Amino acid sequence: MAPVADIAVHDRPVAERIALVCLVVVGVLWAFGALVDSAVFFQPILFGLGTGAIIAAIALGLVVAYRASGVINFGHGAIATYITYIYVSLTDTGHYPIPPIPNPLAPIEGIFGVEILDIPTMIGTGGPMAKGWAAAIALLTAALLGLLAHYAVFRPLRYAPVLAKVVASVGVMLFLQAAVVLRFGARAKSADPIFPNGPVDFLGVRINQDRFWLLGTVALLTLALWLLFRYTRFGIATRASAENERFTTLLGFNADYQAGMSWVLSTVLAGAMGILVAPVTGVTPNLFTVLLISSLAAALLGKMSSFVIAAATGMALGIIDQQLFRIEFEFAWLPDIGIRRALPFVAVALVMVIRGEALPSRGAVLLGRLPAAVAPLITRWRLAAYSLLVTLAFLVSVFAPFQYRGAMVNSMVGVILALSFVVVTGYLGQISLMQMALAGIGAFAVGSFGTAAGMPMLIAMPLAVACGVGFGLVVALPSLRTRGASLAVISLASGLAIEEIFFRRAGWFGLDRTMKHSDPPEIFGIEFGPNSSFILSDGKIPTGGFGVFVLVLTVSSCVGVMRLRRSRLGEQMLAVRANESAAAAAGVNVSAIKLAAFGIGSFFAALGGVLTAYKLGIYSGAQFGIFASLGALAFAYLGGISTVGGAITAGTLFTGGIGIVVSNEWFIDMGSYSAYVAGLFLIVTAVYNNEGIDGFQRTQFHTVVNWWRARRGLGPLDPMAVVGVEER
Amino acid sequence: MSDSVLYTEGLTVRFGGLTAVNNVTLDCSRGELTGLIGPNGAGKTTFVDAVTGFLPGNSSGSVQIEGTEVFGRSAHLLAHAGLSRTWQTLELFDDISVRSNLDVASRVLTVRGAVRDFFRASERDDRVEEILELLGLADIANRQPVELSQGQRKLVGVGRALVASSTKILLLDEPAAGLDRTETAWFGEQLRGLVDEGYTMLLIDHDMGLVLNVCDRIHMLVFGELVTSGTPEEMRGNPDVIAAYLGHSGDSSNG
Repeated sequence: MAPVADIAVHDRPVAERIALVCLVVVGVLWAFGALVDSAVFFQPILFGLGTGAIIAAIALGLVVAYRASGVINFGHGAIATYITYIYVSLTDTGHYPIPPIPNPLAPIEGIFGVEILDIPTMIGTGGPMAKGWAAAIALLTAALLGLLAHYAVFRPLRYAPVLAKVVASVGVMLFLQAAVVLRFGARAKSADPIFPNGPVDFLGVRINQDRFWLLGTVALLTLALWLLFRYTRFGIATRASAENERFTTLLGFNADYQAGMSWVLSTVLAGAMGILVAPVTGVTPNLFTVLLISSLAAALLGKMSSFVIAAATGMALGIIDQQLFRIEFEFAWLPDIGIRRALPFVAVALVMVIRGEALPSRGAVLLGRLPAAVAPLITRWRLAAYSLLVTLAFLVSVFAPFQYRGAMVNSMVGVILALSFVVVTGYLGQISLMQMALAGIGAFAVGSFGTAAGMPMLIAMPLAVACGVGFGLVVALPSLRTRGASLAVISLASGLAIEEIFFRRAGWFGLDRTMKHSDPPEIFGIEFGPNSSFILSDGKIPTGGFGVFVLVLTVSSCVGVMRLRRSRLGEQMLAVRANESAAAAAGVNVSAIKLAAFGIGSFFAALGGVLTAYKLGIYSGAQFGIFASLGALAFAYLGGISTVGGAITAGTLFTGGIGIVVSNEWFIDMGSYSAYVAGLFLIVTAVYNNEGIDGFQRTQFHTVVNWWRARRGLGPLDPMAVVGVEER
Repeated sequence: MSDSVLYTEGLTVRFGGLTAVNNVTLDCSRGELTGLIGPNGAGKTTFVDAVTGFLPGNSSGSVQIEGTEVFGRSAHLLAHAGLSRTWQTLELFDDISVRSNLDVASRVLTVRGAVRDFFRASERDDRVEEILELLGLADIANRQPVELSQGQRKLVGVGRALVASSTKILLLDEPAAGLDRTETAWFGEQLRGLVDEGYTMLLIDHDMGLVLNVCDRIHMLVFGELVTSGTPEEMRGNPDVIAAYLGHSGDSSNG
C-alpha cells in the first residue's frame, strides 16, 4: 500500500521505550538472582539451550522462506516434524512412509470385492538403517518437499493477497501433520542420540553436553546463512528479487529459481534441525508447530530478515522458558496463573508493540483479488430456496434418525462458527487463527455461569457470549496496529495462550480434572438439551427439541450476517478490507470498524462455543485448542470465507457434520483421513479457487444459466444482476 | 483570510533527514479552484497526505478549516471536519459497487446509525443518487470499479470525495494523470462546473495546461518549498515556473 498506509504508528517511540524499560527490569532481576545463587542463575540458561536451539533453528528457516517468497510459513514446524518422523522411522525399523494416496480403482474394487491396487503405507528397506543414510534420505525428501511447496503452492500464490498465502501455509501444516498422525499415530517418539550426550559439569551445573553441540550448530548455521545472503551471488540475487522481482529478472537472474532454491534451503534446514533435536526432546506430531509460535516471535523481531536477531531471540526465548519453569518450581506458593504457558504470546505481543507494521513487503505490482463478498439479491426464487433449506434442516433435526440429527446439530454449530470467520476474514479481511479459543471461552463461561453459579440460561448464555466478545476485543487490539500475516501470528499466539491458561488448568474456570460440565439449556423450566426428555424425542440423543433450539439460533445468525453485509457497517468493513487509507480518508473510523468486526466475529464464535457446551455436556480444552481453530478456518475457507452461503457449506463439512456423516453412511468412510483431506483441499482452494465451494458453485450456476439463456436466444445474464451486489 | 476554507501555515514534512515539504503556507478561498503545481518530486502529494492526516509522525505546522485548527487529528476525523481527497492511484474500494463506494463516504456512521441501519432495510441515500447523476455514473452504479474504464474510475474517486455532506474542500491529487489531451480538457470543464456550483477545491497536478486553464489561483512547489503564487495570467509568464519546468537557462529571465 501507499507510504501513507500506517495511520497509528506515531506512538511507536513510546512503545519502544516501554519495551526497553521492561528489558532492563528483567535484566536487573536476573543479575540479582545470579548474585544470590549462581547455579540457580545458570541452570535455566543451560537447560534452555535445547529448546532455544530448536526455536532458533525454526526461526532461521522461517526467515529463509520469507526471504524466498514473502510467505510466513505456518507449515514450517510441520515440515520439520514430517522429516523428523521419516528419519526416526528409517533408523528404527527401516520403513519409509508413503503419504496416503487415494486409490483411483477403489470404486471398481468396492463393486467387485477384489483388491487390484494395493498402495503400500510404508516401503521397507530391510531392517533399521544407519543414521547417515537415514538422514540423507530424510533430507532428500525435505528438498523435494521444498520444491513441491514452491512450485505447487507458493509460486502460484506469488501475487496473491496475504490471506491466501497464510491459508495455504496453514493447509500445509494441517496436511503434513495429519500425514504424520496417519502413518505414525499421535504418540511421542524418541531417537538415538547423534551428538555425544554424556553429562559434563559446567559452572556448577551438571548438564548433558549435547546442548552445547546444538548451540554450536545453531550458531554455525546462523553464521553460514548470514554469509550466504550477504556475500554470495545467490544470496544477493535472492534479496534483490525479494525487493524487486522484475528488475532482478531484467538483470538476468531467474527469480523463480532463486525462490525455489531458498525453499529447498528452508525445508532442508527444518528437517536437519528436527533430526538433530529429536534425540534431545523426542518428537510428537505437533511439537514443532507449538514451538513455531515462539519462533515466529523471534523471526518477526528480526523483521523476517535478520538471521542473527532471529537466532539470538529464539535462544533467549528457550532460556526464559526454563527460567520461568524454574521460578514456578522454586516459588510454588506463587499463584499459578500459567505465565510460562503464555510466554510465546507475550513474546509475540511485545515484538508487535516494538515492531508495529514494519515487516518488509515484497515489491509486487499487482495483487490478486480477495474472495468476493457477494450479497445475493433476495428474489422470490432465492427466498423460496432459503425456506426450503430451513424446512429441510427442521425436518432432519426433528424427525431423522439420531445420527443424522446429531450431524445436523454439529453442522449448524459449524455454520455459526464459520460465520465468525465470514465477518472477521471475509468482510474485514483480517486473519484470525483463534476463533475456537473464543468459542472455548463461551463454552467454559456458560458452564461456570449456568451450572457452577446456577444462573438461569437466559442470563448465563448472554453473559458467556459477552465474555467471548470481551476476549475477542482485547485480542483484537493489536489489529489496530498490525494486519495481514502479523495479525495471524498474534491471533495464533493468543489462541495458544488462552488454551494453555484457561482450558488446560484448573485455576480459572474451576475445571474438574480439566473437564468442564454444562447443564442443558432451559427456559422457564422447560429443558431442551440434547438428551432432555422434552417433546420430539425418540429416546436417543440429540432430541428434536435441542435441534430446533440450535436451528433457530443458526437461522437468526445467518440472517443477521446477511443483513450486516448489506448494512452500512458491512459496507464499511469491506471498504476497510479493500483499502484502509482510502477508507480513513472517506471518513471511516478504521479502528472502530475493525473492533466492531472482531466483536461481531467473537460473538458468533462464542455463541458456537456455548452451543457446543450444551451439545456435549462434558467437554475439555481439546475441542478449543489452536489446532481446532486452524481446522475451523480450513473448513470455513473451503466452504467460502466471504459469504453466508460459504458458511453454510462449511457447516456441512465440519467434523461430524451432516455432509461428513452422509458421506460416511452412504459413500466412503473418511474416518481418520478427514484432517488430511481437509488440509489438502485447503491448499488447493487457497491456490486455485479462493472463493471456496460456494463461489465455485456460484460461477458454475451462472455458466449453466447463461448456456440455457443462449439456447433460448437470450443474451448472457448481467453478472452483476446475478451477483446482485446492489439491492437498494 | 476571512473566507478561507483551508489554510495551512508553516506545514513541514520530514522523513529522517529529508525535508519533503518545507514551511508551506497556503490558502484556499471559498468557491475557488486553487491549483498546486510543481515538477515531479516537488512534494505535492506529500503535502496533501500531511494535510489529510496521513503523516502524523512526520509533519508539523498548522492546518485550519474555516478558521478551526485541525492539525493532528486523525484522517477520518479530518474527513468529518470537511477535508475530502482523491488519490493519484485512485484507491477505490474494489470489492464493492460504485454506489457502495459512495455510500461508505456519504455520511458519518454512528453506533446508533449502524444499529438502525442494520434493523431497517437501508434505503437509498438521496445525496449518493444526486452525485451519481451529476457525474454521469448512475447507469454503472451497480458495477464494481474493476469493470470500469480508467476515466470512469477517476470519476468514482471524485464522486466518493464529493459525496460527504460534510465536505468543505476537495483535494484532488493528480486527477488528470493517465488521461489524454481531450479527456483532460473535458475533465477540467467538469471540475470548473463543480466549482461554479459552489464547491471549493485544491487541484494538484503537474499538467500546466489543465491547471492554467481552470484554476483561479495557483501555487507552485519546488523541492518542498512554495516558491511562487499568482493568478494563471501571472504564472504563465513567471520565470520561476518556466525554470522549474524547463530547467534554468542563463538568460531566460531577460527574454
